[in-house]
Amino acid sequence: MSFSKKIKNGKFIITAEVAPPRGIEWKTVIESIEPLKGKVDAFNVTDNQRSMVRMSSLAMSKLLLDSGFEPIFQLTCRDRNRIALQSELLGAAALGIKNVCLMTGDFTTLGDQPDAKPVFDIDSIHLIQTAKKLESGVLLNGKELKGVPNFTVGAVYNPFAGPKVLQVWKLRKKIEAGAEFIQTQPVYDVRVAKDVHDLIESLGAIPIIGLLPIKSLKMANFMKKLNPTSIPNRLIEGLERANNPAQYGWDYVIDIAHAIAEFGKGIHFMLVGKTAELAAFIDYLRNNSPYNHKF
Amino acid sequence: MVVVRLKPLEEILETLKGFKRVFIFGCELGSSRCKNGGLKEAKNLGEELEKFGFKVTGIRSPGGTCVLERIASPERNLLKEAEESSDVILSLACGAGTQLIAENVDIPVLTGVSTIFIGAERKGKYFDEYCIACGDCIISKTGGICPVARCPKSLTAGPCGGAIDGKCEIDPSMPCIWYTIAQRLEKLNQPDVLLKLKTPMRDYRKSIYPRRFVVED
Repeated sequence: MSFSKKIKNGKFIITAEVAPPRGIEWKTVIESIEPLKGKVDAFNVTDNQRSMVRMSSLAMSKLLLDSGFEPIFQLTCRDRNRIALQSELLGAAALGIKNVCLMTGDFTTLGDQPDAKPVFDIDSIHLIQTAKKLESGVLLNGKELKGVPNFTVGAVYNPFAGPKVLQVWKLRKKIEAGAEFIQTQPVYDVRVAKDVHDLIESLGAIPIIGLLPIKSLKMANFMKKLNPTSIPNRLIEGLERANNPAQYGWDYVIDIAHAIAEFGKGIHFMLVGKTAELAAFIDYLRNNSPYNHKF
Repeated sequence: MVVVRLKPLEEILETLKGFKRVFIFGCELGSSRCKNGGLKEAKNLGEELEKFGFKVTGIRSPGGTCVLERIASPERNLLKEAEESSDVILSLACGAGTQLIAENVDIPVLTGVSTIFIGAERKGKYFDEYCIACGDCIISKTGGICPVARCPKSLTAGPCGGAIDGKCEIDPSMPCIWYTIAQRLEKLNQPDVLLKLKTPMRDYRKSIYPRRFVVED
């Protein structure tokens, strides 16, 4: 079943993230996710993530599609004005790319070309409105389209950003604008995952909870620095005690994934390092777990 | 006010190469307030230039170099004074003042400052960018605080996902302005003001430069 059908039918969703290469060598990227073919429902293709130049997200999405994977084309407002954004969305639709995840984007100065001009003509909510406008058969300026696109529109939410009341306000606006699914920043606590799930669901979208396996204590501390409340102390303590921190970090996240499979609607793996293990876990969820009816 | 930053002396010396008699303009509005181009800085710079062999023919710092009447009135024509005595004018006024001088004299006009922003001053020391002159002011709806100028992404519909712990993701030494706005509205007991805020896409025609403003009779 396609990602969009699963979204519409309320099936449990598993997505993962894939970054286009720095360069044009895309085949190795495809090879690296080969074990997940037919298991991960769709792959988010990042758009110059963290403001560092990579191959075009749209091009990589098309290459994924041609290689038998379903892409979620990520599109940000950092590098394009509303003319370019509409054009990209139409281009994606024409290439058969239906799933889009729309966001404002990281700021230019955080990347490796900090001297670039930041665009931010419109924001994430406007971009969602733009996709819906195109679906209604017209451009933002009302001019009629020849051939009308149809998207499955997603957006993002960071449960650890604030002020909470304004973040929720913004999330609500994204969903009201037409976001059907919401992918979150990585979560390391089942209670947080449940709260976020309930929040997104109550606002009317499908929650897909972000999971990012921790590979080392160093990585955990880095994440804690970025997002202090996201990393619980017991995760840090566990990593300190573990003989094999990478395995500990993986098991920790898989435990949360189990819990989400029980109450939730979807999980989003933001790092595909252990593809074989992830493939095995997905097989288990689908075939032998108590939640296999949700797939 | 308009905030300027004095260029390094080496850079000023480089641009003055080939000239001998230099007339220096400062400005007692913005350039003086931020202590980078008022009369005092103009005098200091003049002394430095003399050390490098330049002849400083005059130093003037009107209260508003960007107002033509302040620099060239029939009673006191600073431009004429400069033009008659010098090979070149070095201006420490903002970009507007410097250009106004340049379009009214027939000798070269160079700048000794970079104009950096429209800001507010505190304690005579801190200058923060508060306005980008977007041409479409929304601060009545955001607690008197401008997210267009004070959020690097100019977000008008709330904070981005990088707003962690009250800090801006771009520079953690800066507050996320949306926290400040939320606190302010809470203090005013108007927490719902934002939730009702409509945030349509901006019409950038209002900020396409160069703009002209005409005072109506």
